[in-house]
Amino acid sequence: MKKIKKIFKKILNSFIGIGLFIAKIWKHKKGKIGLVLVGLLAFVAIFAPLIAPYDPYDVTQRAAKGLAPSWEHLLGTTINTGQDIFSMLIYGTRVSLLVGLITGIAIAFLGAILGIIAGYVGGVADNLIMRIVDIMLVIPTLPLTIVITNLFGKSYFIIVFIFVIFGWTGLARVIRSLVLVLKNSNYVKASELAGGSRWHIMTKHILPGVSHLLIMNTALTCAGIMVAEAGLSFLGLGDPTAISWGKMLAEAQSGGALLFGHWWWIIAPGIGIFIAVFAFMRIGLVMEEILNPRMKASSGIYKLFKTLNNTYIQEVFDGMNEEVLTTKEGEIS
Amino acid sequence: MQKSFVIKRILYAIFIFFVVLTLNFFIPRLGVDDPAERYYPPQGNMSDIEYEIIKQVTREQYGFDVSTFKQYTNYVEGLLRFDLGTSFRTGNPKVSTLIAERLPWTLVLSVSNLVISLCIGLIFGTVAAWKRGRWQDSLLLNLSTISVALPAFFIALILSFYFGFELELFPAYTNPNMVSQFDWSWEAIKVVFYNAALPIISMSIGGIIGYSQRTRNSVIAVTNEEFVLTARAKGLSQNKVLFKHTLRNAMLPIVTAVGMSLSGLIGGAVIIEQIFNWNGMGTLFLEANNTNDYPLMMGIMLFMSTIAILANLIVELTYSLLDPRITVGEKR
Amino acid sequence: MSDVLLGLKNLKVIFPAQQGIVRAVEGIDIDIKKGECVALVGESGCGKSVTSLAIMRLLNTPPALVDVESINLDGDEITNYSENKMQDVRGKQISMIFQDAMTALNPVMTVGKQIDEVFIKHQKLNKKEARIETIKALRLVGIPEPESRAKAFPHQLSGGLRQRVLIAMAFACMPKLIIADEPTTALDVTIQAQVLEVLRSMQRSHNVSLLLITHDLSVVAHTADTVYVMYSGKIVEKAKVEDLFKTPHHPYTEGLLGSIPRLSDTTKHFVQIPDSVPHPMFKPTGCYFHPRCKYATDDCKKKMPPLERLDNGREIRCYHPINFTGGETNE
Repeated sequence: MKKIKKIFKKILNSFIGIGLFIAKIWKHKKGKIGLVLVGLLAFVAIFAPLIAPYDPYDVTQRAAKGLAPSWEHLLGTTINTGQDIFSMLIYGTRVSLLVGLITGIAIAFLGAILGIIAGYVGGVADNLIMRIVDIMLVIPTLPLTIVITNLFGKSYFIIVFIFVIFGWTGLARVIRSLVLVLKNSNYVKASELAGGSRWHIMTKHILPGVSHLLIMNTALTCAGIMVAEAGLSFLGLGDPTAISWGKMLAEAQSGGALLFGHWWWIIAPGIGIFIAVFAFMRIGLVMEEILNPRMKASSGIYKLFKTLNNTYIQEVFDGMNEEVLTTKEGEIS
Repeated sequence: MQKSFVIKRILYAIFIFFVVLTLNFFIPRLGVDDPAERYYPPQGNMSDIEYEIIKQVTREQYGFDVSTFKQYTNYVEGLLRFDLGTSFRTGNPKVSTLIAERLPWTLVLSVSNLVISLCIGLIFGTVAAWKRGRWQDSLLLNLSTISVALPAFFIALILSFYFGFELELFPAYTNPNMVSQFDWSWEAIKVVFYNAALPIISMSIGGIIGYSQRTRNSVIAVTNEEFVLTARAKGLSQNKVLFKHTLRNAMLPIVTAVGMSLSGLIGGAVIIEQIFNWNGMGTLFLEANNTNDYPLMMGIMLFMSTIAILANLIVELTYSLLDPRITVGEKR
Repeated sequence: MSDVLLGLKNLKVIFPAQQGIVRAVEGIDIDIKKGECVALVGESGCGKSVTSLAIMRLLNTPPALVDVESINLDGDEITNYSENKMQDVRGKQISMIFQDAMTALNPVMTVGKQIDEVFIKHQKLNKKEARIETIKALRLVGIPEPESRAKAFPHQLSGGLRQRVLIAMAFACMPKLIIADEPTTALDVTIQAQVLEVLRSMQRSHNVSLLLITHDLSVVAHTADTVYVMYSGKIVEKAKVEDLFKTPHHPYTEGLLGSIPRLSDTTKHFVQIPDSVPHPMFKPTGCYFHPRCKYATDDCKKKMPPLERLDNGREIRCYHPINFTGGETNE
């Protein structure tokens, strides 16, 4: 019973932690957009059936093929099947978000755990993990994904699996570097001297220390994964029955959108990808600014200088003026 | 540079090569007991005996009739002779031959992309850093955020649509005779680049912005270092400070980035090649996929991995030449 | 006064920021005579480094705004020199020695090349000739085997050697004035003494003026002729070095002197000045030092005491100077 309580508490703490992060990002001017967009996307993904005017999976809801945008079909219909493009766009959110988030979170777990172990425990564990990283890095992931889907069938599960198996490497390296620095910090050394177990130090001290970096990297990873997923779906490696933005682009190309000038069919999924990636990138970049205030695009100073009130500045300077008195004699007492 | 370091690194590279090679060997064999089934999957209209005979013939033809271990050693032996295997396609050409045929075409795209991205990127990035806070810098920042969210293949589709189909300025699909009619003449080269224009531009847009941003960040970081102040305090001209001190240091991370991207020169353009139907390694791989041509697929993968290993090795060994602070032999 | 090499009049430097204005330097005057070693003393954040950069006109706008009446170098008004003209002055007539030689040197260039640059630019020598001069300079500062050392990269040299390289680089063209910003702070105590010795002997033997910026009074005692004490952007005291140590006039100076641990002192407590330097954006009213001053009265809180020039050459900014029976002031 006690153990269950402990675990529950830990989960609660991590939620609170995440909540604090979100609050931090919200405060940041640029972060608001990212969070709002992600929230919007999540909303669309979850409530897709309610939002989309048609069900693209339902064959009976097909309309005339190749319609241009109109009030009935906001983005027209596809040339090959007559599905409503707007509805497809909405349903496509699901695949992108799911793949992006699941992969991102899985990579976050794996990358953090292995990175912390490699950095903190060092020795054989470090060597082993880093060698594996070196090996994974030379294998080209796109061709590999193509091969695996060829052998085992096309599915998003395989795509996520391969992304995760290969994706943790970058994060692990970065986390490991930070852990190596944290290892030598005073509070860690103090904890070691006080007899803290490795596990305790890694979870209570090192983990919070890398949390900012972790979240930032995860956001950026999710963004990157979504781009990659779009590419793989474009090549047709994902679940053939699912609707995804990448697949929409592929269908647009093969369906003749380019030929017949149906630019809306191409632009729509592209904008979907753009919004999703942009939102996560924003969050990641904002986190980076919070982490590294120096790298802030200091156009702030330049704007400040443009709007300086010159009379005020002159006043400030004049206020420093004073008379210099000359004393006749200064006797030392 | 110490010999021992070089030797260590090369041995390590060879070790990784063997691991990758082994993975490469086993991957197509996953999921089936008999590799012959990969070539000839069971088809409904065949009796069991007929299937067995076909499988046996296949096995003998492709060397699957020996033990797995012997197959492995045959495989490694072949590799040492640069034999990456025999393709399943008609005529059974050697994988290495096919790669040799198509590789240069991919390189036309990727090398052009690299050169353009680097040259323009370095200039634009330095300007943005020089004019920090002004409109050039803001523009770059905005472009960066947008560019990352627009995948190259999407840009390719748009370019293909607008410049290819609508305006008909450049071919939206590569001329299928481009390869066969190539004869190293000036005319032929012009044709190649005319066809390559859209693919290269699609890739370069992201590349230029990427290198610009990297350069800008690096230059700004270096400009804030004290030795740049020292250089100015010595009375050196702005140009001298910029080129001999600032850029010389700012380039280090860029060089690393270029080195890392070398391995992508071969495999990075798969989707773009497909969109424009460009006759390179990417389309070769996709063709192999469509025909379940495993030797070809795995051969290409091994080739790409090997190039990646070599690229990493070269970057590691040459980096210490550029940055004297990196004492050779230090672990990252 | 023809023996004044550098006349700095009414230098003011501010850094505007979102939250307010950082008043780094609030109207200071510094005179440096030919061949003199002047020390500018103060805690970190009092504006000393900014002053040195301002003299070399190396402060960039943005982020800094500089207002100065005059910077006069040996008769030349360099206040409004164009950037091109200033480049001829820097390194040749005024040069600078920075605090941390590791970060002040270009890591990917040999130290020899970095000194060659100065000769090539200011004496129009070619590479070979410059290298000969560089080796001479390195030898002058006491670096052994200068020919091979010149080919070394900064990280390959020890801290003391690196600092000597900086000194050699500064002395290369025999400038009229050298500004040394905390030249020994980053060094071990034993190396500190050596480097100071090199600096002093070079300065004396070549009649170069030295502006020594430091927070370390023991360095001042060893090397300086005249001392300016700076606090929160203002000069609070100026005196010859012996006078300053024997009879300081400003309470802050007294505090600084008291906080030097002396082996001979067995009776006195280790004196500390309470609190810390005021935030450069939010300074107190009246005299900036009054919150930490044990002699402070109500006048000190109301108005900034003016800088008084005594006719013995000293300067003091205080309503209640110590060791002092005041003469009459002239309005």
